[in-house]
Amino acid sequence: MSSISEQLLANTSKPVPKEALLVLEDGSVFKGTACAAEGEVFGEICFNTSLEGYLEVITDPSYAGQIITMTYPQIGNYGVNLEDIQREHPALRGLVVRDMCTRPSNWRSTLSLPEYLKQENVVAIEGVDTRALVRHVRDHGAQRAVLSTIDTNPESLLKKVRESVSIVGVNLIPTVSCTEIHTFASLPKSHDFAVAPALEPKHKVVAYDCGAKRSILQNLVRCGCDLTVVPWNTPAETVLDMHPDGVFLSNGPGDPDAVEGTYSQVQKLLGKVPVFGICLGHQMISKAAGASIEKLKFGHRGGNHPVMNLLTGRVEITAQNHGFGLLFPSLGELIPELSGGHSEHVDDLRFWVREGVAPVVQNDRFGRIRLTHVNLNDGTAEGIACLDIPAFSVQYHPEASPGPTDAHYLFTAFIRLMDKDPNYLDIDIAADRLAGWTFGERKELQHA
Amino acid sequence: MPKRTDIQTILVIGSGPIVIGQACEFDYSGAQACKVLKADGYKVVLVNSNPATIMTDPGLADRTYVEPITAEFVEKVIEKERPDALLPTLGGQTGLNTAVELAKSGVLDKYGVEMIGCDLEAIERGEDRKMFNDCMAELGIETARSGYAYSIEDAERIVGELGYPVVLRPSFTLGGAGGGIAHNHDELLLIVSQGLELSPAGEVLVEESIEGWKEFEMEVMRDHAGNGIIVCSIENFDAMGVHTGDSITVAPAQTLSDVEYQRMRAASLAILEKIGVETGGSNVQFAVNPQNGRMIVIEMNPRVSRSSALASKATGFPIAKAAAKLAVGYTLDEIVNDITKATPACFEPSIDYCVVKVPRFAFEKFQGTDDTLSTRMKAVGEIMAIGRTFEEALGKAMRSLENGRAGLGADGKDVRVTEENFNDLVGRPTADRIFHIAEALRAGFTPEQVIETSKIDPFFINRIADMVAVQESLRGMRVDELDADAFRTLKRYGMSDIQIAHLTNSDELTVRACRKLLGVRPSFKTVDTCAAEFESTTAYHYKTYDADETEAPGERTKKRAMILGAGPNRIGQGIEFDYCCVHASYALHDAGFETIMVNCNPETVSTDYDTSDKLYFEPLTFEDVMDIVDAEKPDGVVVTLGGQTPLKLANALSEAGVPIMGTSPEAIDLAEDRDRFSAILDELGIAYPAAGMASTFQEACAVADQIGFPLLVRPSYVLGGRGMGIVYDGAQLEKYMTEAAKITPDHPVYLDRFLEGAVEVDLDALCDGDQVYVGGVLEHIEEAGIHSGDSSCCTPPFALSEAIVSQLRSIARRLALRIGVVGLINIQFAIKDQVVYIIEANPRASRTVPFVSKATGVPLAKLAARIMAGEKIAGLNLPSDERRLDYFSVKEPVMPFGRFPGTDTVLGPEMKSTGEVMGIARNFPAAFAKGQLAIDYHLPESGTVFVSVCDRDKRALVPIAREIKRMGFKIVATGGTARALRAAGVDCEEVRKVSEGSPNIIDRIASGEISFMINTPFGHATRSDGYELRTAAVRHGMSYVTTLSGAQALVAGMEVAREVGLDIVALQDLPQWEG
Repeated sequence: MSSISEQLLANTSKPVPKEALLVLEDGSVFKGTACAAEGEVFGEICFNTSLEGYLEVITDPSYAGQIITMTYPQIGNYGVNLEDIQREHPALRGLVVRDMCTRPSNWRSTLSLPEYLKQENVVAIEGVDTRALVRHVRDHGAQRAVLSTIDTNPESLLKKVRESVSIVGVNLIPTVSCTEIHTFASLPKSHDFAVAPALEPKHKVVAYDCGAKRSILQNLVRCGCDLTVVPWNTPAETVLDMHPDGVFLSNGPGDPDAVEGTYSQVQKLLGKVPVFGICLGHQMISKAAGASIEKLKFGHRGGNHPVMNLLTGRVEITAQNHGFGLLFPSLGELIPELSGGHSEHVDDLRFWVREGVAPVVQNDRFGRIRLTHVNLNDGTAEGIACLDIPAFSVQYHPEASPGPTDAHYLFTAFIRLMDKDPNYLDIDIAADRLAGWTFGERKELQHA
Repeated sequence: MPKRTDIQTILVIGSGPIVIGQACEFDYSGAQACKVLKADGYKVVLVNSNPATIMTDPGLADRTYVEPITAEFVEKVIEKERPDALLPTLGGQTGLNTAVELAKSGVLDKYGVEMIGCDLEAIERGEDRKMFNDCMAELGIETARSGYAYSIEDAERIVGELGYPVVLRPSFTLGGAGGGIAHNHDELLLIVSQGLELSPAGEVLVEESIEGWKEFEMEVMRDHAGNGIIVCSIENFDAMGVHTGDSITVAPAQTLSDVEYQRMRAASLAILEKIGVETGGSNVQFAVNPQNGRMIVIEMNPRVSRSSALASKATGFPIAKAAAKLAVGYTLDEIVNDITKATPACFEPSIDYCVVKVPRFAFEKFQGTDDTLSTRMKAVGEIMAIGRTFEEALGKAMRSLENGRAGLGADGKDVRVTEENFNDLVGRPTADRIFHIAEALRAGFTPEQVIETSKIDPFFINRIADMVAVQESLRGMRVDELDADAFRTLKRYGMSDIQIAHLTNSDELTVRACRKLLGVRPSFKTVDTCAAEFESTTAYHYKTYDADETEAPGERTKKRAMILGAGPNRIGQGIEFDYCCVHASYALHDAGFETIMVNCNPETVSTDYDTSDKLYFEPLTFEDVMDIVDAEKPDGVVVTLGGQTPLKLANALSEAGVPIMGTSPEAIDLAEDRDRFSAILDELGIAYPAAGMASTFQEACAVADQIGFPLLVRPSYVLGGRGMGIVYDGAQLEKYMTEAAKITPDHPVYLDRFLEGAVEVDLDALCDGDQVYVGGVLEHIEEAGIHSGDSSCCTPPFALSEAIVSQLRSIARRLALRIGVVGLINIQFAIKDQVVYIIEANPRASRTVPFVSKATGVPLAKLAARIMAGEKIAGLNLPSDERRLDYFSVKEPVMPFGRFPGTDTVLGPEMKSTGEVMGIARNFPAAFAKGQLAIDYHLPESGTVFVSVCDRDKRALVPIAREIKRMGFKIVATGGTARALRAAGVDCEEVRKVSEGSPNIIDRIASGEISFMINTPFGHATRSDGYELRTAAVRHGMSYVTTLSGAQALVAGMEVAREVGLDIVALQDLPQWEG
């Protein structure tokens, strides 16, 4: 940035500009200025399209190993409330924004986002033409990137990024999972104005922590779960010895094929106890059933993906954050009498949406498995339910945080599954719309 | 589920004339709906009284009725067309109210018409505050604490519980008419008594004040399967207390954390379901306490609204189109996202830019009214700006308003903010407050002071503080000091070249040249509904200085024609010009061009992304237009169809080497420049009123000495008669000259001899350079002296002789050819004592083009565009322009006086109307009566008529009064008028004037006994008796006329309506040019 430019910005809320560079492994260079901690970080470049909820994104452990670009240009507007974070510390490698807000405004805010990022030592860049970056990533695929406020030589950065380690095939879970078995019951006070209080704990649930978002655990607690959190590779026997009513499998970062430590245990749990999985947890159930996982051409990261529940025909607007997905046909052969007479698998699962059928396959390990949810944007699998054992899972995020809460009913469904309700997934999302929320008390006036 | 096959014919009700609170956004939504329903194979029947709309183009619906939107007329249409279904949610409050009336009166049942999209119960639950509040209580969602008052006493009792201030909302009024905030007992009495009268239900809601809270809107859609989505969230810049239509608004919401936003989202969807909106779009408004996040739902509209038009433009998601498809049975997941063409419409748009909407006001037109913004909407139009940041968008917005400003201040036009005026300028919400806020920060007031006083969220004020800081750092630098990086920084903070020029003591062209020399050019990004997550094919662009990559202009496959739109709606420049631009776009596309639309008005059809091949949502300034020209390199630019906004750019564009289509800027200047124009008229032997030009009072006196009083005075280069007046003596002239200097200091003032009592005529014609085609001759009903936009007029002429008409045609032919018009020309004539004078000629589309096109079946704007593209009139296969028309068409203006309490309602040379209606009938009086019905929704049928006219009119009043008596009305009149009537043998009762003490005529008006009033102005004092009368009439919603010719037409119309009744006619039954 030129000195005249610095003079022009001198009396604004912007920090003194310090050059920063983002270089992708294909040689693309994006210029900007540092807006948080300084340093040099490597990771996979990806983007998130949520309009709000930047703090939840930044602290989502599933972003371990990644450099996140926020597509909405102005980030930090409403500041930071530490009770909104999804994990004690951010797991992402770096943050790319168009414009970082240093003077936020919101009654819940206790510090600004750049202050928070500095505290957490997160390197971030602003001033980037993020739309150009996003289009580039969309067209050329996810790739390694380096973000540096130290080295601003594009050639040297390109050399470094090409030598950096790719996250494909790497197990990132140990970097974000807890290491000790512990209980979880705390709920954020600062959400009390909006979120309904927790139900009495009735179900003893063990949650595998592969990098669980706090909001998932909070949702389980609010639904009445007495929650114990265990490390990602806890042996199934240990869990079963706790005699839980249900087991929950959390989200988590990276390539699911590398997480054998979890899915090998899940394989032993399935059929013995009700299981619910979200995101990586969904992939763990799939892997346990012997299915194949693909790396998506375009990862899903945002808060606006339409997913159809094939059982109800309702569309949910969902929060998503995954780069890998289940290949539904790999779960087994279709059972024609339960699949609208169809015996041939199709790649684009929107076929089942058009047919109005929730197809069922015969799985070698766990019997009949039904496809319950399909992404309407690209026809990928979003949810499955086992018919012969008590287990179901979704690829997306019913806890949202950030994002729409249409799929909140899935937590209720888990409770119903543990209560042995055969129609546990049959919930009208419209009726469930306000479940979990609270609004101030209304005072009535008496008059003519 | 796919579309319904059990219905074939669908009736769509439009929103009628453009009024404050209900503008062309309903043409945009209605046109979308008609198109999509027709494309789906339904037969579409449309009723809309507004001729300036695209939706009333005969090609858009199958049966188009330009008829009054009253239950009576719509029933006639139902009887004739027998629709299976009625879609009531696309015509604003007018359409909805009419649908409710038809449903309640049993008409829909009688003819077996099903209401689709929204049923009666849902409408009532949404509109009736009591039922709405009950629904919210059942959901557990808070509404403001409140109570209903049916009397002053009720209101007082409720206030006893709530305490002041309270918000008052009369039930069932348009755009919150009659509402307000009462801070004390006096204000309570005033507003409640007005509100009780205005409310059809005689009911006023008294509510706890949430003034100063943050305000949000959610645009929601739902299908019959129960799928719901939020299309867009909107945050108001102005805090609660200012009507959302009068607020600056920002999309998406800027200051809500995820937990707050998601709760609001869930509540919005739950509210839609609770109210029972089966399908379609609705908007839900919330207030949030900035101290603790307490959220209150304010209201919801179970229909397409102004905000949904804005949300559609802001996101690219076509709400009205989707709403129409949902109403006929589709579900959201069955509709394809129009922009990406690959993903379903069942999603929530993500945007990667910031959108700012700023309302456009017209207080300068309404002297005497309070310009404080309140819960009652007063804006006449709006603009929208898109930028990558709030700063970039706001900067753009502030130069889009067509109010002479070059951005957010720093253009030499700011009012100094001092300790003394700080509270008034920053604390009181007004049209210009945003400028004052910037100026206050510039003057050294802290952001905290501004936040405290204005109640505007700190986020916005801090951003504005940054913008001002950058401006002030630039002040005093030299433009040649600026490097590329500095220019980019300035641009990213929303500054225009003019602002940079002002602050560096340079000029716009130098700044532009320096900037381009340094390679600082903008890029163009795309509105794609998905923040670039998916590819999109739709060319809907905005400009930004995030310039790593540009997404326009794309490959050149054909010749490119660029059409400059009309900017914000304001009085004098409304939907008519947008209509012309849209027609030009259609015609040029058909003629093989790639069409490029540039406009910044979110309410319009022109800014629909599928109207033109490409859309640039940008301000219509030289800088912004040239940046697009540099990128697109158009083969031609159309400047003559968007009114004065693009026309005033013609010279600068032409000098910059831009190819102008049609009439050359040189020819435009020939007509605009008085001296050159007079010389042409002299040369052609055409009479015109004696005229002169002056820049000072002394010069003006010299002119007056030469040509004598009365004089018609006006500034040059204005539209809509802005600043125009009639002066009768030297004192008035002096006052005028002082005022004029404020309006357009750079331009001189014209002084014309005023032809008192003359008949005025408008003529619209096409010219290709060789041949002239007269599109229509419009005889005004009011005499000269009233702005042509405020006059009622009739085509074909109802009283002019054949000889005069052919003389007018002949003059038009000679003049158009002589000026060198290629395209449209509008000529205004005055005829006095059988002499034809030319008042003015404008070589551009006029306000009357859509009306004339509908009256004659010849689409003038389309043809003009084809002529500009090189076609000849001879090859257009037009019907003879001297053919006889079977029907008379009357255009009548609609006045917004009800919104501006205290302003004088007398008509004059300065235009004040916001919109117009059309009446079509076999004879003139019937057509006029239809026009009246379309405005007032009823014609006086019996009762008492009040008459009070100036001396000049007393003799001519007699035959009209006689007619009124004959029709069975009683007449009351003030002293002088009563004496004149009695002397002529017309019986009447005398009533006291206001100045004669009470009880007087105002009491009679207040009692509701007077069914209409004829009052012609006495003098020129504003606070006269007449003023009191006319404002009382407005306050009580009473019909009135302020000219004798108007009175004559009204009485004749009433008689026809009563004696023979009024038939309906579809445009498709009139001859239409087929090309």
